[in-house]
Amino acid sequence: MSARAPTYRSTTVASGPAARTAAAVRTRVERRENRPRWRDAPRFVLLSVLAVLFLAPIYWMVTTSLKSEADTVARPVQWWPAEPTLENYRTILESPNAPFARWTFNSLFTSLAFALGSVALAVMTAYPLSRMRFRGRNFWFWVILASMMIPGIIFLIPHYLMMIDFGWVDTYHALIWPGLPAAFGVFLMRQFFISIPRELEEAARLDGANSMQVLWYVLLPFLVAPMATLGLFQFMASWNNYVWPLFVVHGEMQTLPVAITTFSSRYWTAYGKLMAGTAIASVPVLVAFLFAQRYFIRGMSLTGLKDE
Amino acid sequence: MSGPSTDSAAVAPAPRPGVTLRPARRGGLRPRVDGNPLEPYLYLLPHAVLFFVFIVYPVGFAIYVSLHRWNILSDNQPFVGAEFYTRLLTPGTPQFTFFWKTMGNTALFTVITTPLLIVCALGLALLLHKPIPGRSFFRAVFFLPTILSVSVMGLLWKWMFENRTGLVNVVLDMIPFTEPVAFLTTIGLAWIPIIVGTVWWTVGFNMILYSAALAAIPQAYYEAAAIDGAGAWAKFRYVTWPQLNPVTLFAAVTTTIASFQLFGQPHVMTAGGPLRTTQSVMMFVTEEAFTRFQFSSAAAMSLLFGVLLLVVTGFQFRLTLRDLGRGRA
Repeated sequence: MSARAPTYRSTTVASGPAARTAAAVRTRVERRENRPRWRDAPRFVLLSVLAVLFLAPIYWMVTTSLKSEADTVARPVQWWPAEPTLENYRTILESPNAPFARWTFNSLFTSLAFALGSVALAVMTAYPLSRMRFRGRNFWFWVILASMMIPGIIFLIPHYLMMIDFGWVDTYHALIWPGLPAAFGVFLMRQFFISIPRELEEAARLDGANSMQVLWYVLLPFLVAPMATLGLFQFMASWNNYVWPLFVVHGEMQTLPVAITTFSSRYWTAYGKLMAGTAIASVPVLVAFLFAQRYFIRGMSLTGLKDE
Repeated sequence: MSGPSTDSAAVAPAPRPGVTLRPARRGGLRPRVDGNPLEPYLYLLPHAVLFFVFIVYPVGFAIYVSLHRWNILSDNQPFVGAEFYTRLLTPGTPQFTFFWKTMGNTALFTVITTPLLIVCALGLALLLHKPIPGRSFFRAVFFLPTILSVSVMGLLWKWMFENRTGLVNVVLDMIPFTEPVAFLTTIGLAWIPIIVGTVWWTVGFNMILYSAALAAIPQAYYEAAAIDGAGAWAKFRYVTWPQLNPVTLFAAVTTTIASFQLFGQPHVMTAGGPLRTTQSVMMFVTEEAFTRFQFSSAAAMSLLFGVLLLVVTGFQFRLTLRDLGRGRA
């Protein structure tokens, strides 16, 4: 088997009983290989130390948020809060100028709308580009692909001035629409469309299905995993977007990750409250990660997708 | 599924009752479009509209704005030609001074961060390559920070490096012969929290890329190398590293592009200070636009910066095309 075999085939096409058996065999083999050997001990210790270092900032965020402000700077340092308290959370959630619920909703709603919109748009655009013949098909694909080359910074000023013209400053529209036509999703979905055997579609066509039915009943069932991966990544990209929402929405229209930094200027060095704010802002994505970890990591390896 | 009736696309179709006989075609993704010939264009339309409004038009609009003196409060936007560009290229103007200063800062960050993100990612991937108890747990831990937003990561590391009370300084205080350091407010040292935080935050991306690439190296190469008497280092030097070349190139290019667009880390941790030594180009462009409302000047800067970046993204584009060619085969 070639080293370059597209890895995504296993995620989309191979899902039958045969694949499941293969997976079971693989797990069994891995389990046997996983038996601890003394030779591996140094590597295991090194990995454990690194894991502790990687988790330390997150541990420190959570424990700081549970301390009173005096305890956050107390000496000797409290590795574990001496008197754990939820006071910081209550203070920031009840403070009149910090509508955390609203900010959370803004982030959830716009990220969800953006993710669904870009998946739908990517599927609709990639479908004819990969499975129909028509004049200008290659030309249009190249145009879309070439747009990937334009550095994002070029759009900041014109998009902002356009939002003023559209009256979209401080609206959800500004957070959803401008990023939708990005080429990446189209490019990704097209690769997956191509990997689906053509014969399936032929059979449906002979049975009299139109292009919409072919897409819905024949092709989409193969694309569930890549669509989920793309949707997840677009959700994360939108949720974590920083520069654009920082300038285009303000006050109670802000997104949660941006809001915690503007809100932080009020608490300057009150780190108990700041860490409570960051904990609130990161809990949704941490939970999403716990549940969808497989998709995250697999999606990463097959798309090479990168945050900016 | 593998019945004879579905193989007809590959060979000349046998005449069957009720099916119009079509001449066999070679290549092509689908023999023909049924129904309306406009159909494919209708599928493309929604994306095309958004594509024109939010990608094609803004590029032209940015150039237009940069050639005028744009005032958002006025209806009159006088044409000024290349004034804002010449300003960026004439020593002595504040735009020239700060644009190129922040450009230097951004380049410094990129030159330090990109190799770190390659070496650390490869190191982690190699540590995790052979099976070990808890492998998927470790992989998840190293990947975990990448899902946080830049504001969370920035506040987190600002607190870790806080001048007297941050965890790093608490630890430095406890170790004999080391003293707490005012990282965030010392020229030069202020890069340390930014760079450490960035590596912690994004190393997981490249690690996953490397893990996938390592898994794809055929075992036979190592067996052949072992027969030739290669030790661990020789195997890495002559098998692993050359096999990883495409991934290294890809990771280097994407990391460079991401690093050049540095914004959130210094914005949250140092606000560009002390004395603008950690201000990035993106930060200066947004300052010009949203603090001083010099939209034309900011547009000229972002276009000039964009053209310089285009050299790198053009390179990435070629890499993508190569992958594309491979996928099509």
